[in-house]
Amino acid sequence: MPRASEIAESFRIAVSSVRANLMRSILTTSGIVVGIFFVVLMGVFIKGLDAVWEKTISIIGKDMIYVDKWDWAGGHSWRKAETRKDITFEQAEALCARLEAPELAMPLARRWGGSVMVGNKSMNCSVMGTTSLYGQTPAGEIESGRFFNPMEEQQGTNVTVIGYGVAKTFFPDGNAVGQTIKIKGFPFRIIGTIAKRGFLFMDFIDNQAFISLEAFKSVYGFQDRNFEVGIKAGNERMLDLVRDEAVGVMRQIRNVPPGAPDDFSVNEMKAFDSQAAAIRLGIWVVGIVLTALSFVVGAIGIMNIMFVSVTERTKEIGIRKAIGARRSSILMQFLLESSLLCIAGALIAIPLVQIVVFSIRFFLLNILEIEAIEAVSPLLPLDLLAIAIAVSIFVGLVAGIFPAIKAAFMNPVDALRFE
Amino acid sequence: MTSDAIIQIEHISRSYAMGDEVVRALRDVSVTIGKNEYIAIMGPSGSGKSTLMNMLGCLDTPSSGSYFFNGVDVRTLSDDELADIRNKEIGFVFQTFNLLPRASALKNVELPLIYAGLSADARRERAIEALTSVGLEARMSHKPNELSGGQRQRVAIARALVTRPSIILADEPTGNLDSKTGQEIMALFQQLWEQGNTVIVVTHEEDIARHTHRIVRLRDGLIESDEPNDAKSL
Repeated sequence: MPRASEIAESFRIAVSSVRANLMRSILTTSGIVVGIFFVVLMGVFIKGLDAVWEKTISIIGKDMIYVDKWDWAGGHSWRKAETRKDITFEQAEALCARLEAPELAMPLARRWGGSVMVGNKSMNCSVMGTTSLYGQTPAGEIESGRFFNPMEEQQGTNVTVIGYGVAKTFFPDGNAVGQTIKIKGFPFRIIGTIAKRGFLFMDFIDNQAFISLEAFKSVYGFQDRNFEVGIKAGNERMLDLVRDEAVGVMRQIRNVPPGAPDDFSVNEMKAFDSQAAAIRLGIWVVGIVLTALSFVVGAIGIMNIMFVSVTERTKEIGIRKAIGARRSSILMQFLLESSLLCIAGALIAIPLVQIVVFSIRFFLLNILEIEAIEAVSPLLPLDLLAIAIAVSIFVGLVAGIFPAIKAAFMNPVDALRFE
Repeated sequence: MTSDAIIQIEHISRSYAMGDEVVRALRDVSVTIGKNEYIAIMGPSGSGKSTLMNMLGCLDTPSSGSYFFNGVDVRTLSDDELADIRNKEIGFVFQTFNLLPRASALKNVELPLIYAGLSADARRERAIEALTSVGLEARMSHKPNELSGGQRQRVAIARALVTRPSIILADEPTGNLDSKTGQEIMALFQQLWEQGNTVIVVTHEEDIARHTHRIVRLRDGLIESDEPNDAKSL
């Protein structure tokens, strides 16, 4: 083990050596600067994406599951789902009645791309028929007014609760409650608006209008319609139990023979998690390849300059060995120097990334007005800084090891003779 | 063979491969050096005296023969153990001074103590003591290029002394100095010997060898003569 005095001496030599060749050091470390810059930027990007995503999911409700003919995961399972029979209103209702584990369960009927109008202005939004229970889910959280009550639900009163996007489109001043909106030509009184739920790529959630199932039947009819059942488990720990119960009951209701696959899907917000994970992985792979490339180039530059440094200081190595420096001391001296070069690169890169991150965030938030970015911190997270420093030290060690070995194993007699 | 022998070399040889040729720098050399001797190793260039000095200084190991340093067989030592012997037991003084150009006189003298593992305070104290003993207490913060040749060699001698080694090994210590400064440096070696140090000077100048008490002459890798310096022996 090298002694403390040797480590301190090695560090002092390394610092003075980097400083003595300041310009050369800065130029040499530029490859590392680029590498660290992209590593940290990528980290911030992924973390930002995660933060926005997490917020979206938690707003919609992590404990919500949806029993549906369709599978949200999409892809090839879409063809399979297409052959399934629709879930009828009776089946949906029966499921809701027979479930015991969840906190809430309600049938849902959706009409994608329904046309709604206020005055001459119209927009496409999805119209959802549901029960008054929906008002108790996170997705149905009221901003102003109220959700429709069981009485209005039973009577099929023409009242509606509209999403944030719809309210903003028709009533930018915020006085939506009490106004009338036409759904497929039928006038509905707005009794409530729902708080902003959508985030980033889930903006469609805000473009919905909610009416009672009875009213939905009058407007769109129940014939040939597929129903969903929205289930609120109560908390995340209950999810597995609730899912199992829902699957079991639904198989009975739909007479699925034992051993046959489910002819329906149980969808969760988690389904989007795997898609988000795939996106994140994609970013990592592209990012890692790019940064690895710049680190390789950077490390070769550092290695080259370290070989130059070792040759320049052959005589010094000889002197140090003659007066008692061990191989490990010399090895450490040059490893410290190469690590220091790389840490210097990281220290140059970090403020640059900070400026870039701050600028991008400012631009997205204030120029493009993407509010979702608020979930992303304007400051670089500490763990990313630690990763940046660790990576730079690692690259420094890798780049410095061969020059350092060359120095450590120099014959002292030959080194002393070097001019 | 004396019981207080510091250096005991028996039948050592050293050959180098120079391209296809094998150069036999030392053929068969046996020398014993005792405590508090003041000895010159002489010979023309190519006689093998530099090779012998590297060997004595544990910078190089013999191809054959045996070398006992303070009773320890040097050939069995690892590289780290050799480094420790160079650090603690041997003080080198080189013809070209071999100081670190960017470090002050004090830092240069402290350097061996860093590898000896001393604390910063102890290093400083010992280095100041060594520089004072060579008369450079007023020049401690100067860098080598701010010192004269004689002063640089004094710094180098202080560096050699600072670990209180068993031997001081000087390789043509006056070779880069004018004769007056050379005499001053030799007077300093004389003083070190009087203080109880063992001093070995490698030189090709009779003038320098005259100061010592025993002269070993090498020629073609062999010892030509090994006799007391009559003028000096007491």
